[in-house]
Amino acid sequence: MMELSPVRWVAHILRHPVDGFEDMRWKKSGSLKIAFFIVFMLFLANIANERLYGFNHYIPYDRIFNVVPYIVKSFVIFGAWTVGNWSVCSLLDGEGKMRNICIYSAYALIPYTAQMFINTILSHFLIRDEYVFMAIIRIIGIVWSAVLLFSAIRSVHQYSATKTIAAIALTIGAMAIMLALLVLFLSLIQHVLIFFSTLFTEISYRIRS
Amino acid sequence: MKKQIKKIVTAIFSLILCGCTANSAVFAAEPYDVYNYDRWGDPIPSQAGYTAEKSVTGYDLGIGAMDMPSDIFCAFDGNFYIADKGNNRIITVNSDFDKAVRTYESFIMPNGTKTNLKKPSGVFLSAENQYMYIADTDNSRVLVADLEGYVIKEITKPESEIYDSRRTFNPVRVIADKAGNIYVVLNNITTGAAMFSPDGEFTGFYGANRVQPTAEIIGDYFAELFMSDEKKARRTRSVPTGITSFDIAGDFIFTCTSSTTQTADTVKKLNAAGKNIFADNEAVFGDYAPMYDTSQNRLLASAIVDIDIAEDGNINCLDLTMGRIFQYDEDCNLLFIVGTNSSQTGGFRQAAALESYGDRLYVTDTMKNTVTIFKETEFGEIVHRASYLHNEGLYEEALNPWLEVLERDGNYRRAYLGVAAAKLRSGEYEEAMEYAKLADARKIYDKAFEGYRMDFIKRNFELIILGGIFAGIAVAGIIRSRKEKKAALAAEKSTEKEE
Repeated sequence: MMELSPVRWVAHILRHPVDGFEDMRWKKSGSLKIAFFIVFMLFLANIANERLYGFNHYIPYDRIFNVVPYIVKSFVIFGAWTVGNWSVCSLLDGEGKMRNICIYSAYALIPYTAQMFINTILSHFLIRDEYVFMAIIRIIGIVWSAVLLFSAIRSVHQYSATKTIAAIALTIGAMAIMLALLVLFLSLIQHVLIFFSTLFTEISYRIRS
Repeated sequence: MKKQIKKIVTAIFSLILCGCTANSAVFAAEPYDVYNYDRWGDPIPSQAGYTAEKSVTGYDLGIGAMDMPSDIFCAFDGNFYIADKGNNRIITVNSDFDKAVRTYESFIMPNGTKTNLKKPSGVFLSAENQYMYIADTDNSRVLVADLEGYVIKEITKPESEIYDSRRTFNPVRVIADKAGNIYVVLNNITTGAAMFSPDGEFTGFYGANRVQPTAEIIGDYFAELFMSDEKKARRTRSVPTGITSFDIAGDFIFTCTSSTTQTADTVKKLNAAGKNIFADNEAVFGDYAPMYDTSQNRLLASAIVDIDIAEDGNINCLDLTMGRIFQYDEDCNLLFIVGTNSSQTGGFRQAAALESYGDRLYVTDTMKNTVTIFKETEFGEIVHRASYLHNEGLYEEALNPWLEVLERDGNYRRAYLGVAAAKLRSGEYEEAMEYAKLADARKIYDKAFEGYRMDFIKRNFELIILGGIFAGIAVAGIIRSRKEKKAALAAEKSTEKEE
């Protein structure tokens, strides 16, 4: 039983939020390609949600387009989640490998991503009084994704429910620490770059004169 | 022959050139960069709505130099009344503003004695009873006199439980409503304007500002929860900023405050009960962001020292810091920004009071000791006409003036709002959406979109229904074929097993 293609596995997981991941783990299935595709779609969904939204629902600051916030909101956050979860759970006797954490977490993000796309499209058909439909879709997407993420972490590490919750909380803490360090690192790099650029200017002036 | 043609051509071109330069000279008269705000709240160059016509000194009026003209009021008779603070007098100027009709140096009290003014800083005339109300600041009183100079009533510091007797009584601005109630702005009271009944009885305070909940004040509130009563009593209390000036228009009193730190309640529209109509308004009065002055190392935030309501309902606010007049329509949409701090005509050194009459603005300057007169430009006239029609609810009549405004200044945001509203009213939803988008007006866009969607559905009703039916049939077909496939597969499997 359960000889499914990778795409059919995605459908299976979405339809079985509680034990879908267990089945997939049992069959050692799941594709990294699909996982990366989902995260890329999350990136696109973030952009669509900000820039292509119906004008009557949201007015973007459309003077400049800066792609960095969208990259942070999708790739960076997802990467931090994967690395953070892996580092926390390898200390907490988790069984998940980095590859599996990445795949399972990405699969769990599908409803959230879909919700963003659906709402972006709906916002061009609905007026503000009918916003409640979009709000419902949004809530469904978020809750569905949360449930999926919970069961993904539980089955990838073979944890109990309480331990999963603790692991998720610790992962969020680890993410915060990582991102803070990242910001620190970036500003350090910036200072170093500025130092070298001033050095270069100084020397070039001296050579010229 | 050829030479002649050449001559004619050069003559024509030089004429055209002359015409061009003459025109541009007229429009480049403002001694400052005229600007307005775009839909992102950034300043952009704009066309001038007012141009400085002249600046009038006391000598021009034939009464010697003025000294600190701190208030100006245009009365029912078309004359202007100026509180000449430094010279302790009230000046009456005719409506053309070229001659002083009369100066009031002293007044005659009801008992026959003469009384002099001492630094009067506010003057008001009531159209109903034709009385003159003078805020006689350093004499600590408000004088109510008739136009002949006979004092009707003298209002001094009230003996009341509400009025703290340790406080001095220094009126700086005074107005009276239709019923004859007198409102007095005092320079050291933050609880609103003192209100007096027509016979001079103190009846309370009116229109106090709110304390703005800044982080500091919220912090203080939580700190006070843990303090003893003695300690609380010794702490400085957080008080709201006082009213700086006000104006009355119809049944409403408009107040302003010159506080540069406060962003709420800088301009209020109060009804008879003292309730602020603008309380839920998101409009910002004055400049959106304070400017940083590097030479003085300080932030230049707008300080609105005087407010005036024009006959057509426009709100004029005078900013002391930058010497600017901000004109809003009655819905608080920014129309024009006029004036600057400079020595030229059209600039101020210390703007003090503002009045409007017809198509002109009159601003007194207590350091230049002049009254500067601004005249509406052609562009200003069109904008005013359009905004007047718009505010009267005649959106469609306002459409052409708004389009004309846009032809002259394509960055004028208010005009896009006007056009969007007009197009929405006349049912041209698609265009209304386009203009609402340009004006960042989400509510108008939403309404226009609702109409557009309704129209679309009505026009394509048959197509939509047909499409729905076909889609339903297609989906049903797919599901059925899938089921059949599955059944066939299962049957195959079972036959395989049997074999």
